[in-house]
Amino acid sequence: MVLAIELIDITKRFPGVLANDRVNLRVELGEIHAIVGENGAGKSTLMKILYGMQPPDEGKMLVNGTEVDFKSPTEAIEAGIGMVHQHVMLADNLTVLENVILGSEPTKSFGRIDFESAAQHLREVSHAYGLDIEPNDLVETLEVGERQRVEIIKVLFRGAKILILDEPTAVLVPQEVEQLHHNLRELKAQGSTILVINHKLPEVLDIADTITVLRQGRTVGEVKASDVTAGDLAELMVGSELPSPETTESTVTDDVALSLRGVTVLNEEDRPVVDDVDLVIHRGEIVGIAGVEGNGQGELIGAIMGTEHVETGTLELMGQDITKWSVRQRREAGVGLVPQDRHEEGLLLTAPLWENAALGHQTQRPYAKGWWIDRAASRAHTQTIRKRFGVKTPNVDVAAHALSGGNQQKLIIGREMTADPKILVLAHPTRGIDVGAQASVWQKIRDARADGLATMLISADLEELIGLSDTILVMLRGKLVAKLDPANVTPRQLGSYMTGAAIETDGNGSADGGAE
Amino acid sequence: MLAALHRLPTWLRFALYASVGVLVLAIAESFESGGVGRLTADTASRAMLKWCIPILLAGLGGLFSERASIVNIGLEGMMILGTWFGAWAALEFSPWMGLVFGVLGGALGGLIHAVATVSFGVDHVISGVAINIMAPGVTTFLSSEVFGNRTQSPDVPGLGEVDVPVLAGGTFFGAETPDILGSIADQGVFFVSDLASFARGLVSGIAIFSLIALALVPLSGWFLWKTRAGLQLRSAGEYPLAGESLGVNVIRRMYLGVVVSGALAGLGGAFIAMELTGFYQNGQTGGRGFIGLAALIFGNWRPLGILAAAFLFGYPFGVSLRDLDGQSTHALLLVVSFCLAVVSLWAATARRLVDAVMALVFAVVMFAWYVQTDVAPDWLPNAMPYVIVLLVLVFAAQRLRAPAFDGQIYRRGAT
Ligand SMILES: Nc1ncnc2c1ncn2[C@@H]1O[C@H](COP(=O)(O)OP(=O)(O)OP(=O)(O)O)[C@@H](O)[C@H]1O
Ligand SMILES: [Mg+2]
Repeated sequence: MVLAIELIDITKRFPGVLANDRVNLRVELGEIHAIVGENGAGKSTLMKILYGMQPPDEGKMLVNGTEVDFKSPTEAIEAGIGMVHQHVMLADNLTVLENVILGSEPTKSFGRIDFESAAQHLREVSHAYGLDIEPNDLVETLEVGERQRVEIIKVLFRGAKILILDEPTAVLVPQEVEQLHHNLRELKAQGSTILVINHKLPEVLDIADTITVLRQGRTVGEVKASDVTAGDLAELMVGSELPSPETTESTVTDDVALSLRGVTVLNEEDRPVVDDVDLVIHRGEIVGIAGVEGNGQGELIGAIMGTEHVETGTLELMGQDITKWSVRQRREAGVGLVPQDRHEEGLLLTAPLWENAALGHQTQRPYAKGWWIDRAASRAHTQTIRKRFGVKTPNVDVAAHALSGGNQQKLIIGREMTADPKILVLAHPTRGIDVGAQASVWQKIRDARADGLATMLISADLEELIGLSDTILVMLRGKLVAKLDPANVTPRQLGSYMTGAAIETDGNGSADGGAE
Repeated sequence: MLAALHRLPTWLRFALYASVGVLVLAIAESFESGGVGRLTADTASRAMLKWCIPILLAGLGGLFSERASIVNIGLEGMMILGTWFGAWAALEFSPWMGLVFGVLGGALGGLIHAVATVSFGVDHVISGVAINIMAPGVTTFLSSEVFGNRTQSPDVPGLGEVDVPVLAGGTFFGAETPDILGSIADQGVFFVSDLASFARGLVSGIAIFSLIALALVPLSGWFLWKTRAGLQLRSAGEYPLAGESLGVNVIRRMYLGVVVSGALAGLGGAFIAMELTGFYQNGQTGGRGFIGLAALIFGNWRPLGILAAAFLFGYPFGVSLRDLDGQSTHALLLVVSFCLAVVSLWAATARRLVDAVMALVFAVVMFAWYVQTDVAPDWLPNAMPYVIVLLVLVFAAQRLRAPAFDGQIYRRGAT
C-alpha cells in the first residue's frame, strides 16, 4: 500500500516550546485524514513543516514514497502539495484573481501575465467545485466565508493532489460546511489526498476516514473514523467528556444594561446595513444574534463599539446616552468586545502578549497608572489571564504571532472578561478553541452572566448560540426579523430563519422585529 | 456628473482637468496689474515641464519602493548621488553615459537602503535619513577629489531639446513648419490664446531627457500591474505573508522595488544636473526627493496620479523662475484661495460641515494674504507641495490608499 505522506519522528522546537516531539503521521493515498488535538498541540506547526514553510529540527518526510526536504513552499507546491492556512493569507487591495495566481502566474512574452487564461482557469476550477467567486472583485469586499473559498481555490488552482486544510470550517456556517464537505468528497473521488484539522468533532467524524490525535506535541493515537464516537475522541484529545453549551436557569434581571433604539448605519452607497434596529439587553442576559455572515452583524457591533457612524437612533448604556461617545469613552465605561477576526481586529501580532492584553484597556488599571503604562502590573495581570484562561505560552513577553490560533483566541477572551465589563459583545468567541477549553470558556460566560453581565453573542456555531442564549434574534439584511426562544428551536429551524426561508413561509416570530 | 467624467478615456479626462486649470489661471492673472499673460505663458508651461521631471522621477521612485512595502525617505539622498554621478559621467564620457551613471548612482543608494531595511530590519525612516546624511558627504568628497572643487563641477552637457513640428514650428526633415499654437497665442483672445500658449510651452523646447522620463509613467504602470514581477512586488507591499506562503521570493521583490526606486531617483538627480542647471552643485536637489514623496501621496500611489502631482507641484517653480518681481507667484495665492473655496463648497454639499468651514477659513486667509500684499515670498513654490498634501490629507484622506504593509518590517518565517 502506498502512503501519500509519511512523517517520521518530526521534532520542532521554538524558544521555550517543544511544538512537535517525535511526531509520526501516515496518510494513505486518496484518503481524508483528520488531525485533531488541543490548542497548541502542534498541528499547525506540523502542517507548516510538511508545506515547507518551516524547517523541522529533526525527522524525515516522505511524499509518495520518496524522501523530501522542502526548503520553501515552492518545492512543496511542485511536489503537488497545497495548504490552506488557519488564518487567511490574502492581500485586501488585490483582486481575487491576483491573489489566486500569485506565485503561479501564467505568463506571455516579457513577463506579462496572461490574465484571460488565468481568469478562465479560475472560473473552471471554481465551477467544477461549486465555489462561486467573481475573479475581479477586490478581496477587501469579501465576507469571511468567501475569503475562505478563495483560499481553497488558491490550492485547487495549482492542481494540488495533496491538500492540507487547517481549520477550514472555523468561519463557516453549517450550510457552508456541508458544501465544503461535499467538495472534499468529490476531490477524494478524483484521487486527491486530503489532510484536515478541525476542532469540531462531529464534523471530523462526518468527513474523515482516519484520524490522528496529537497531544502536547506527540502522536497519541491513530483511529478509523468508523470505530469511534465524538466522546471517544474528546477523551483521547483532552481526557475529558464532550462538553455541551447548555445554560442553567435564567438569571435575567429587569435592569437594562444596553438598549438600542432605531439604530441605523449606512454603507458607502448610503444604503442601510443596520436598519432601524431596536435591541435591549438586560443585566444577566445573553442575547444571541443569529444570521448569515454579512447581514449587518459586523456593523451592528461597530455601532455599539463606536467604530461605525450611527446615522439615526440612540444607544443607551445603563440609562446613559452613549450615541455620541468615542470608542475610548465606551471602552472605559465597560463595553467589551471579542472581535470576529482575531488577526484583523484583536491583536498586534508582533507585539508581546502583555501589550496585547492591555489593548483596549490601555488607559485603565491595572495596565495604566495615570499617564503611564504600568509594565509590572500589566505583566502580572497578563499572567493572571494566562492562568485563568489556560493560555499556553512560555511567558508573557513572546510576540502574539508565536501563540497557536486557539491560544490567541483565549488571550483575547481573557483580556475582555477580566476587565469587568458591563456589557460584552462576543463575536464567535470559541472560534478555533479546542473542546476542553471551549467548556471552560462557556462556563466563564455562564458565571459572568450569573454575576449580572449583559452579553451579546454572535456565533456561526448554532449549537453554541442556542445553548448559551436567553433570547435569540435573527438578523437578515440589516433588520432584526425574528425573536426566538432557544428552548424550543433546533439548529435546523434556526438555519432556515437565517436564510429567510422560515420567515417567508410561516411568518412566525417576525411579529415584533426586536426584543423588548 | 462626476460619474460621467469617469466614463471618459483617461487622457481626455486629464486634458479636461488641465484646461480647467488654465482657465482658472487665466482668470487669476487678469486680476494682476503687471503680470499680464505670465501665468499661462509658454515660458511658464515649458519651465513647468522641466521642473516637474525630478519630482515625477522621485515620485515614481517612491512608488516602486512603497508598493513593495519599504518607505523611502532616502530618495533625496539617492537623488543627490544621481546628480554627481550623472554630471561626472556626462563630463567624462557623454551625456547618455551621464544618464546611465545617474541611474547607477541612485541604484547604489537604493541597494544600501534595501540591505538595511529588508535584510537587517532597520527602521525604514532611520535608514533613509542616514542615506540623506551620507549622500551629500560622499558627493562633496568626490567633487573635491575629481573636480578639484568641493561644491561645483564645470558645465555639463545635456541631451538636447526638440520641438514638435507643425504645432510649435519645429523643423520636419529640414523644412520649417508652421507654428500653429504660437499664432493662436498671439491673437490675445481670452482663454483660447491662454490655452494655446500654455500648450505651446509643452510641445516646444522639450528636453529629450524629459521624454524619457515621461515614458516611464506608462512603463511603470505596465510593469506593476501587468507583469508577474510587478504583481509579486505589489503583493509584498500589501501582505508579504501571502506571497511567502505561495513560494514567492518576497525578499527579492522588495530588493527589486527599492533598487529601482533608487535608480529612478538617481535619474531625477542626473536630470537636475544635466538639464535644469547644466552643472553639478552641492545641495542642488533642494528637497525634491521629499516633494516626490508628497507627489506619491497626492497621486494615491499610482503613476498617473504622481504625474498629475508633479505637474501641479512643478508649476509654481516654473512660474517663479521667470518672475523676478514676484507678481505672478503672487497671483497664485488667489488661485489657491479659489481652489480652497471650491473644496469648501464640495465639502458642504457632502454634508461635511467641519471640513467645509475649515477650508473656507483657509480660503479667506489666503485671500487676505493676496489682497494685503503685492509680491509673494520666494519660498512659496517650495512650500506649496507640502501645504497641498496636508490639505489632501485633511480633506480626502479616506480616498487615499497606501499599500497595507507600507513601512512595516517583514521578518521571514514570523508567521
Ligand atoms: N513562530 C513561533 N514561534 C514560537 N512559538 C511558536 C511559533 N509557532 C508556534 N509556536 C508554539 O508551538 C506550539 C504549537 O503551535 P501550533 O500552532 O502548531 O498549535 P496548534 O495545534 O495548531 O493549535 P491551535 O488548535 O490553537 O491552532 C504552541 O505552543 C505555540 O506557542
Ligand atoms: Mg493551529
